[in-house]
Amino acid sequence: MMAHKPLILIIDDEESLRDGCRQALEKSGYAVLTAGEGSEGIKIARESKPEIAFIDLKMPGISGMEIIEILSKDIPDIVLIMITGYATIVSAVEAIQKGAYDYLPKPFSPDQLRAVARRGLDHRNLKIEARRLREEKERMEKSFITFVSHEMRSPLVVIRQYIESLKAIAGDRFDKDVTDIIERCSVRIQSLEGLIEHWLDLSRIEDGTFAQKKETLNLSRIIARSAEEMAPICKEKGISLETSVPEDLPSIVGDEESLARVFINIIGNATKYTPEGGKIMVAARNDEYYVTVNISDTGVGIPHDKLPFIFEPFFRVKGKEEKHRGSGLGLTFCKKIIESHGGEICATSKEGEGTTFVLKFPNQ
Amino acid sequence: MSAKKKILLIDDDKDFLYATKLILEKGGYEVFLAEDGKRGVEMWKSVSPDLAIIDMMMETWGEGFEVLKKIRATDTGKDTPLFMLSAVDLQGPYQSFEPPPEFPKVNKVLLKPVKADDLLGYVSSALGK
Repeated sequence: MMAHKPLILIIDDEESLRDGCRQALEKSGYAVLTAGEGSEGIKIARESKPEIAFIDLKMPGISGMEIIEILSKDIPDIVLIMITGYATIVSAVEAIQKGAYDYLPKPFSPDQLRAVARRGLDHRNLKIEARRLREEKERMEKSFITFVSHEMRSPLVVIRQYIESLKAIAGDRFDKDVTDIIERCSVRIQSLEGLIEHWLDLSRIEDGTFAQKKETLNLSRIIARSAEEMAPICKEKGISLETSVPEDLPSIVGDEESLARVFINIIGNATKYTPEGGKIMVAARNDEYYVTVNISDTGVGIPHDKLPFIFEPFFRVKGKEEKHRGSGLGLTFCKKIIESHGGEICATSKEGEGTTFVLKFPNQ
Repeated sequence: MSAKKKILLIDDDKDFLYATKLILEKGGYEVFLAEDGKRGVEMWKSVSPDLAIIDMMMETWGEGFEVLKKIRATDTGKDTPLFMLSAVDLQGPYQSFEPPPEFPKVNKVLLKPVKADDLLGYVSSALGK
């Protein structure tokens, strides 16, 4: 005996069929409601929200196909099964396209009816369970991000605040070595905070909560802005930074802040691996469909066998100097942001000669 | 010699309170601590501080804003400098959170952690020292 009686609605203009179905289904523990025509059937369905509705395709008044269309929109999770006297593949396909789950050709036996009802109910339960699990998973992922954001960052913030207070109350008593050690602690904690921040950004991009605008913008401004921001570092390192952007570069659609982060990130990488006297070039061009930006450097290059993995999270090219350690998520972030703009990023490189990142964005 | 100026710190993180207290005491202030919003408001009324620093994100997002509203609504809270503390950069482009428009005035939003010199600088200029 079922604890909860699943409710089945039969919409058919033939009274004998309605009664036959009712008896067959009630015997198997279902609750049954019936309607002799479409508008009554829709009314009953809206009021009692049955789990399953059997709908005769050919009836006077509203057609079965229309009922299927209306109920599949109005009643979430309802399983609609078409009853038809002249089952053709065409009408079955049309009904399924409109939202029916199955069809039952007339004449049918009580066993066939029950089998179709059982299958429909199983399908519904699976669908509901799958959605519940998916929602649960999403909820857990979201709350995990919030957890990480607050619970992991708070202690780091507090440690840095303690370091600040240590310097404030006793700084004048420290010699240079002690001051250096404290400073190093502070830097390492900050880089851990940065790592968490990057990781959170990636999680937010993945779950769609990373706030990005969709504005018409021109990459020439973003390139100029990024070059301006990176200029002091390049100057300090003795690297020349040049840009070449055509005046009539077409606009693209996207978020200026996150794109500026992408450019700064890639130019920043180039500064790390380009020796003194080297050159970084940011060159934009376009065709009918895309704006393409090449960011090339005359740096140490990336080994051929490592190149395919550079956009993977936490991937590092071994043998690079320790001082270049970033979060390991910078390029992953860039790739995700560019992809969220409908664009692409790839890299070519030759060891000892340099690396070129190619960024491609669809024109507006 | 004039009496020390009084500063009230409201934050649910004890360590953050203690670390910040040390800095402010070094700056010559008398510091009062409250570990939640409710105690913060009570202490505001009993101590009448010259300035309060309130963490924005205590129990919930926004508890700090409630505390701020309540303090601003008191007689002594109308014109006293109030600072807000935030662990996230509200000016940054990646935060969709914005305070409501009818939101009471904040004299300064400080990003955690706060550099000792910065903190003492903001406090002394807010107190017109």
